[in-house]
Amino acid sequence: MADPTPTPGATNDDPHGIRKDLDKPGQLVVVFLAVLGLALVNIFGSTAMGPGKFTLPFQLAVGSAQATLVGYHFMHLKNGDKVVLLTALSSIFWMGILFVLFLGDYMTRHMIVD
Amino acid sequence: MSAKHNTPALKHHFEDLGQQHACERLGIWMFLATEILFFGGIFGAYTVYRYLYPHEFEVASSHLNRTIATINTIFLITSSLTMTLAIRAAKLGNKGELIRWLFVTAALATAFMVMKGFEYAEDFHEHYVPGRMFQDELKSARDEIAGKSEEDAKKHQFKPERQKWAKELAVQVNHKHVDPGKVQLFLCFYYIMTAIHGIHIIVGIGCILWVAWEAWRGTIPPENYSTVEVVSLYWHLVDAIWLFLMPLLYLTGAGYKH
Repeated sequence: MADPTPTPGATNDDPHGIRKDLDKPGQLVVVFLAVLGLALVNIFGSTAMGPGKFTLPFQLAVGSAQATLVGYHFMHLKNGDKVVLLTALSSIFWMGILFVLFLGDYMTRHMIVD
Repeated sequence: MSAKHNTPALKHHFEDLGQQHACERLGIWMFLATEILFFGGIFGAYTVYRYLYPHEFEVASSHLNRTIATINTIFLITSSLTMTLAIRAAKLGNKGELIRWLFVTAALATAFMVMKGFEYAEDFHEHYVPGRMFQDELKSARDEIAGKSEEDAKKHQFKPERQKWAKELAVQVNHKHVDPGKVQLFLCFYYIMTAIHGIHIIVGIGCILWVAWEAWRGTIPPENYSTVEVVSLYWHLVDAIWLFLMPLLYLTGAGYKH
């Protein structure tokens, strides 16, 4: 029986390649501080010194940046298989369709003339 | 190096551990996709009503306790870090550190729920709950300033038992055309969204403690680290959802009230 394909990242100490994508604690702490800092930016944005009428898009953009950091680093999408990445992105894509369809309805109702 | 190594962690229907871990990751991500769509529906309904009634949503949001929400945000973001450190410990086969990080994560999650409990209790005590309590409290405040001009209403000395939100809202309802029904609509979103999120937190605490128990029993060797990773992926999603709930519910109106 021929030897099957080698396990990616496998070594004698780590025959299953489990430690090949090991997180660096320092990097995790930097991501943590970035997410925390963005949360404070969001809180600041809700004060009188915030972006005013652009508060909602500003806060959603900050929230998206935080979620991206969490997804990419903490949820290991940076090391993810293509199919995992596709699953994650498809959920965002379908949610986008959901929003476009019903916002397209509610935001255009006033345009209908009886 | 061969891909096929005999290990107790390998389930019989997989070729090797790499394939097994990939399947486990894909499985939990498929579940997370359904969760994203589930919350997407709720966020969508919120977006529609916020688009229709922006002023009422701002007024209602400004009376929520942002201090507790900020503390809870710090708890959840920190718990995401500790959960990721737990995966690292699992990969390294460091059982003590794995259990320690899992317990820290569960403790932070519990602290979140305790703070949320205090917040709900405060809201309930202040009658800031949609329905009869809200309506009676607001009606009492509105009756006190009935017939007064806006300036006089703002200067009015309310009875001491009147709640702060009711005093401010009474003036806005009487003179700024704020619809109290829409304020209660926001509160419905607030309670439903935070309660559903809270249920996810409680489920997460249960899963984390189960993994800690399994780790203590020695059933999570490095080859089985994906057990920790699967729970961590769920946990990070719960954290990510909060990162949107926080601005949409608590940071809608400008300026702190608490």
